[in-house]
Amino acid sequence: MNEQIEQDWLDRKLQEAAPYIEDEGFTAGVLRQLPQPVRRGEFLRSFILVGMSALASALTYVLSDGGRFILVEMFKLTAIPTLWVVAFALASGMLVMAGGIFAATSKTSQIES
Amino acid sequence: MELTDAALIARVLVDEDQHAYGELVRRHQSSVRGLLRQLTRGDIALADDLAQDAFVRAYKNIRSFRGEAKFSTWLYRITYNCFREDARKRKELVGINEEQWQAQQDPQTVDPGLRHDLMHALSLLPLHERSAVLLCCQNGLSHDEAARVLDIPLGTVKTNVLRGREKLKKTLSAWVER
Repeated sequence: MNEQIEQDWLDRKLQEAAPYIEDEGFTAGVLRQLPQPVRRGEFLRSFILVGMSALASALTYVLSDGGRFILVEMFKLTAIPTLWVVAFALASGMLVMAGGIFAATSKTSQIES
Repeated sequence: MELTDAALIARVLVDEDQHAYGELVRRHQSSVRGLLRQLTRGDIALADDLAQDAFVRAYKNIRSFRGEAKFSTWLYRITYNCFREDARKRKELVGINEEQWQAQQDPQTVDPGLRHDLMHALSLLPLHERSAVLLCCQNGLSHDEAARVLDIPLGTVKTNVLRGREKLKKTLSAWVER
């Protein structure tokens, strides 16, 4: 038996002598010991959202001459007929209700799946 | 489709996805635990404790994995460091205790069967040769990869593998000749 064949035989036997070890809860044990992930991303996201909202509000206030357009629009609204106001309120209510029903049904199907 | 190790590592790095890390543990647990069982001479409880430590340490340090080597090579290095640190604490690293242990072994008490003979022959090797043989011959690492894992020069790995193989062949000569 030459040197190379002996070497291959030995390597093969060494590999065969190391059978696959079943997990048997080992991975779950490791996962329990891992530190809890730090949610840096979520904090950053909320920080950016609040910051951008504040910036947009400030820009709107400055560009609209101190919010004068709101006063103007409110005066215009007072001139709208009562029937139009009732119709608008009804439509808004139905829209909100439809949104609520849609959210509830999609959440239910999500939980069921 | 099964994700590659690199894709799972990316998920761990970007999203701190512990499920992805769990998949990496599942893939490599057998080889890591097997290596440690051999290094600890069959002490299954100690080997599994060390394997858990190694995987937790790998998770904490995963940002230092740069992808220059295979994930398994990087993991073996952490595993070997865990074993070495524990062995130092237990004063079982190569030295007086290792020599004493080898002196206590009686080659005549080997159980029948090649596997037993092989395991016994392996356990008789000094730690530096056993580690090199296990990594290169059993786990299929190249000499270069084993040198990184063991943190020793490439030439030393080659010498240790050669000497370890020779000793194994000598101890198992009866089987080799069949």
